[in-house]
Amino acid sequence: MTYVFQFGIVFDRFHELLQGAWLTVQLSAISMALGLSLAIVCAFLRTTGPRPVRWIVAAYVEMMRNTPFLVQIYVIFFSLPAIGLRFEANQAAVVAMVVNLGAYATEIIRAGIQSVPIGQIEAGRALGLTRIQVYRKIVLFPAVKAVFPALASQFILLLLGSSVVSAISAKELTAIANTMQSTTFRAFEVYIVVTVMYLAIAVAFRGFFAAVYWLVFVRGRA
Amino acid sequence: MRLSHLLAAGAAVLALTLGSGAADAQALDRILKDKKIRITAQVDSAPFGILGKDNKPTGSEIETARQLAKDLGVELELIQVSGAQRIPALLSDRADLAISSLSITSERAKSVWFSSPHGALSIVIGGPKSVNIKSAADLAGKKIGMSRATLEEQEVPKIAPPGTNIVFFDEHAATQQALLTGQVDAIGSAAFLINDLSKKAPDKQLEVKFTVVTAYYGIAVKPGNFDLLQWVNSWVFVNKHNGVLAKIYETHTGVKLVDLPAM
Repeated sequence: MTYVFQFGIVFDRFHELLQGAWLTVQLSAISMALGLSLAIVCAFLRTTGPRPVRWIVAAYVEMMRNTPFLVQIYVIFFSLPAIGLRFEANQAAVVAMVVNLGAYATEIIRAGIQSVPIGQIEAGRALGLTRIQVYRKIVLFPAVKAVFPALASQFILLLLGSSVVSAISAKELTAIANTMQSTTFRAFEVYIVVTVMYLAIAVAFRGFFAAVYWLVFVRGRA
Repeated sequence: MRLSHLLAAGAAVLALTLGSGAADAQALDRILKDKKIRITAQVDSAPFGILGKDNKPTGSEIETARQLAKDLGVELELIQVSGAQRIPALLSDRADLAISSLSITSERAKSVWFSSPHGALSIVIGGPKSVNIKSAADLAGKKIGMSRATLEEQEVPKIAPPGTNIVFFDEHAATQQALLTGQVDAIGSAAFLINDLSKKAPDKQLEVKFTVVTAYYGIAVKPGNFDLLQWVNSWVFVNKHNGVLAKIYETHTGVKLVDLPAM
């Protein structure tokens, strides 16, 4: 038996896939920005906050890192409406991605913070800087620089993980592909095209991160 | 082994396959002589075919098969198949009949022969009483959920007016959960599922808004088996009029069987 490829069906509806890809990029970009902000705050609290606050942050991080992403999405989309917190599919997707990325990135940045020599922090304190000033001006920059490759990888994982939000009817790239596949029965063609699209998006993001690294950490502080 | 040997062996296998695949004009006689009929059983499509409490196949289609074998006076052998294997099982002579909620379509009729319909499945729009939907036109501006790779996925978009927001979930459980939590206004679904759901969540006051389409199920035979198909058609006729088919259907699906047209 020979299988006849029919990519025509996929390319006739390529604009739908492009719309899906654009939503994937938007969801991912917003989640990366908000997730990173959340992680920077949490990493600060986790390392220098009062003990109870450290415990709360630790609990959040461990809860997110030890439960499936799909279940987290279901909780936000299906369970929270019971207590009056209703998110649209796209909002629920972003919330899930932000809290998920926030937890992983908190641990990555914490590792970066711990790599900063303690003497550098003590020097800052000796100069009369406040805790927050020390964190912002002395610790954060070298910490993020040290873990930037790990952060970038986590961001890409988030981008790829965004395919899971199709489960709550967000119309991103995978959701469009699933629908197209189940109406045309051209699973092979659809998913091959979508694989290439994810690859292109991921490579573009990696290029962007490399540019950011160069601009901020290499040229900025040569 | 040399290539020519391989080719010769391949040709022999092919000839055998084709030979055994030829229509069996005396299928009914053979079944009566062997005192055994082989019928497909799809056990992953509740309430038509499921595994019961004791892991024994049951459901409306499987009980229909049992009744048919009993009336024919032969032993029943259930051939377990997945949804995609229902037709191949017939064509490869693993089963004599397919009774597995196989809806009659002109596409499928190219590869198998259907009896008159013995069952049906209605795709409906269902939602809470408070949501005002009376006909397809009222779907405009509403968020309608449904599961992928289902009959509703094919049929509802055809009748939905512009401005209908149709959203897809990967499985029935998620679609139903979206309805119960108010993430969608209504869902497209098989009628019996709406019925099931409204029993499980009586406080949501779910109801059937309107019927989108009704698909009719037939019993399928391998093309060429005239005598078997003729007997099956007579059997469907008798059991449609004596109410046996309707009773089996209602016992398992919880909804009434619609009027079955003749074919």
